Amino acid sequence: MTSASREKKERGWFKEEFGNPERRMAYYMVLPAVLIIVVIAFFPVLYGVVLSFTDSTVTAFGSFVGLENYVEMFQDPDFLVGLSNTVIFTVVSVTLEFIFGLGIALAVNRAFRGRGLVRAAILVPWAFPTVISAVMWRLMFQPGIGIFQYVAQSIGIISGPVLSDPTLLLIAAILIDVWKTTPFMALLLLAGLQVIPGEVYEAARVDGANVYQRFFRITLPLLKGAILVAVLFRTLDAYRIYDLFYAFGAKELQSLSTYVYEGVRISQLQFGPGNAAAVFIFVTAFLIALFFIKVLGMRTSTEE
Amino acid sequence: MIERREQKLGMPTGRGYSRRDFLKVGGAGLAGAALLGTAGCGGGGAGSGKLIFSMSSPVPTFDALLNKFSKQNKGEIEATLREMPANSSTHYDKLTTEFQAGGGDIDVIGGDVIWAIQFAAQGYIQDLSDDFPESEQEKFLPGPISAMIYEDAIYGIPWFTDAGLIYYRKDLLEKAGFSGPPETWDELKEMALKTAKDTGTKNGFVFQGMNYEGGVCNGCEFIWTHGGEVLSEVTGGEVVIDSSEAVAGLETYASMVADGVAPEAVANYDETTSEPVFGAGDAVFLRDWPGYYGLLGIPTKDGGYPNLKPEQVGIAPIPVAEPGMQSYSALGGWNQFVNAATDSQEEAVTFAKFMIATEQEKSLALDGGLRPTRKALYEDPDLQEASPVIELAKEIIFSNAKSRPVNEYYGDISLELAEQFNNVLTGDTSPQEAAETLQQSLSDIMEQAD
Repeated sequence: MTSASREKKERGWFKEEFGNPERRMAYYMVLPAVLIIVVIAFFPVLYGVVLSFTDSTVTAFGSFVGLENYVEMFQDPDFLVGLSNTVIFTVVSVTLEFIFGLGIALAVNRAFRGRGLVRAAILVPWAFPTVISAVMWRLMFQPGIGIFQYVAQSIGIISGPVLSDPTLLLIAAILIDVWKTTPFMALLLLAGLQVIPGEVYEAARVDGANVYQRFFRITLPLLKGAILVAVLFRTLDAYRIYDLFYAFGAKELQSLSTYVYEGVRISQLQFGPGNAAAVFIFVTAFLIALFFIKVLGMRTSTEE
Repeated sequence: MIERREQKLGMPTGRGYSRRDFLKVGGAGLAGAALLGTAGCGGGGAGSGKLIFSMSSPVPTFDALLNKFSKQNKGEIEATLREMPANSSTHYDKLTTEFQAGGGDIDVIGGDVIWAIQFAAQGYIQDLSDDFPESEQEKFLPGPISAMIYEDAIYGIPWFTDAGLIYYRKDLLEKAGFSGPPETWDELKEMALKTAKDTGTKNGFVFQGMNYEGGVCNGCEFIWTHGGEVLSEVTGGEVVIDSSEAVAGLETYASMVADGVAPEAVANYDETTSEPVFGAGDAVFLRDWPGYYGLLGIPTKDGGYPNLKPEQVGIAPIPVAEPGMQSYSALGGWNQFVNAATDSQEEAVTFAKFMIATEQEKSLALDGGLRPTRKALYEDPDLQEASPVIELAKEIIFSNAKSRPVNEYYGDISLELAEQFNNVLTGDTSPQEAAETLQQSLSDIMEQAD
C-alpha cells in the first residue's frame, strides 16, 4: 500500500467514526460510562503504579526511589513462594477444571430426562460464596473433627495435619477450587457445545467418522471460541486467587494476592513491595490476556 | 448507501423531541446524577449528641452500661454499640480501614492493649494526658498503663485486663496421683503424659499455636519463663531473641508437640478451636485467658461448656524452666481509646471515663466476668465471692503480666514472631534457626523504627 492510500485509510477511519453523526452519537452515549471507568478504574491503577516507584507508606506519600521496591519484592522469599504457589495453582486447577468441565458438558449435552435439574444441581458448589466454602473445607481438614483429615490419615497417605503442611495445603486448595469451579467451566463449554449444529455430526457419521475423530476433528475446533473464553476467565481468576487461600490457609498458604494484602494492609514496612506486587499482578495478568487474544486467536468481537 | 442510511435513521423533520434528543438529554442527566452521587459519598461523624462505641465480643452487660450512660446524660448524649469481629487481627484490620479512610464515625474505641502505640504513632487516637492525669493512673494496674504510653503521653485508659494462665483438670490429676499443678515445664510434660494415659484423656496439653497474634502470646510466654527476652526493654532497646535462654524457651515450645504432650493440631489452634477441646474433656491442661473460666458449666447456647464444671478445673501460673524462676503471662486486655478525628471530643472522653469508673468495672466483673484494671477492686469482697477467677488469678494478673513489645511497628514484629513461632511448632524450622531469623528480621524492623 502506498503511503498516500494508507493516509487516506486512516483519515477515512476518523471521518467514518466521528463524521458519521450516528456513530458520533454512539461515542457520546458511551462517554459518561467511559469517564466513570477512567476515574474509578484507571486512576487507582495509575496511582498504584506511581506509588510503586516511591517509598510511601499507608499514611504518607514518599519520595521517588526508582525500582527499589521491585528489587525488594523479587528478593522477598514470601513473594517467591506466593508466585510459585499461584502459578502451580493456576496451571493445575485450570487444566483439571477444563478436563472435568468438558466431560460434564459433553455428558449433559444430550437430552435426557431431568436434564434441567441436573444442570441446576451441578451449579451448587459454584453458588456458595468462596469464603464460606473455604471455611467449611477448613473445618473438614481440622484435626480432631475434620472428616477428610481423619479419612486421609486412616488410609495412611498423610501423616500430619494437612493445615500445617504448605504442600498439602496447596494440593487441598487446588482440589477445593476444582470442586467449586468445574460447574462454571462446564456451563460455559455447554453453551459453546449447543451452538454446534447437529447436521455436522450427522454428516460426519455418514462419512464414517468414529467417536474420537468426531471429537477431535469436529467438536474441539468448533468449540475453540468457547474454550478460549472459559480458559481465559478461569486463568485470570485463578491467578488472582485470594479468598480461598486466605480463608482456607489462614496465613499458611501464600499467593500473590495474599502477599499484596499483607504488605499493603497489615504490615507497615512492607507497603512498597506489596504495592509493587500489585502492579506486577496487573502487568502479568494483562500479558496473559494479550497472549490469549493475539497468540491463541481468541475472538473479542463479531467484527473481524 | 450512506445517504440511504442517514435518510432512514436521521432526525425526522417537523417534530419537537425525537428519540435521539431524549436519549441525549436523559443520558447526560443520568451521568451527571451518578457523578454527583459518587462525589457526595463520604463524610463521617455520628453527629452531635450521638456516640458510637465499638467493641468486639460484647457481653450482655455492655448494653446495660450503655443504657445507664445514656440515661445519666439523657437528652445530651446517647451511646450505641457497634460490634466488631471477635478475631483480634480482623478487628484491627477493620479499625485501620476506618482510620485510613479519614477517621470514620466511631467515637470511642474498645481496643486491644497492643494497638495503643500503633494507633498513637499514626495519630489515629487522642492524647488523653489532660483527662487522665498521673494521680488517676496510679489507681490502675501498672502493666496496662505502661502499654498505653507513647512519647510520654498516655493514649488510652485501661478498661479490663487479661493475662495468660494454665487451666488444669483437678479431678484428673488427682486420679493420676498428682496433688497440685505443675511448677515447671518438665513437670507439666510429665503430669500431662501420665494423666492422659492413666485417665484415657485424648490430649495432654492444648494451647493456641496458630500463626496469629495469640500464637505470639503463647510463644513469648515460653521465652519469658526461660529467662529470655524478645527486646531488652519493653518499649525498645535491642533485639535479644537469639540468647540461649530464648532458644531454650523455643525448644520447650517445640518439644510440646515433638514429645506428644500436645497434638500436632495445636499449630492450627486459636482460642475458638482450643477451648472446645478442653471443654469436651479431651485435654488435661489448657493455656488460655481468664475469661474462659466464666464459660465453665454454662449452657451451650450461651457459648459455654456445660459438661465441665468449675469445681473440676483449677488455675495456675504459667510454668517456668527451673523451680524458683519468675513466671510470666502475656498481658492482654482492652482499653478505651478516643478517635482523634471525632467531632464529639468531650462527649467521647466523658463516655470513656464513665466506662472505667469503679462502679462500671465492678458490674462488668460481677456480671460479665471481666477482670478489672483498678487495683482496689481486687480487694473488693463482693467480687472475690462472685468471681472465683478474680481471687485465683489476682497474683498472676498483678505480678506476672508482661507486655509484648510496645512499639509503633509492632504489627510487623508480630507478623514475624507469629510465623517463626508457628514454624518451630510444626517442625519446619529448628528453634536455633528461628531465633537467628528473628534476630535478623526484628533488628531490621527496629532499625527502621528509629
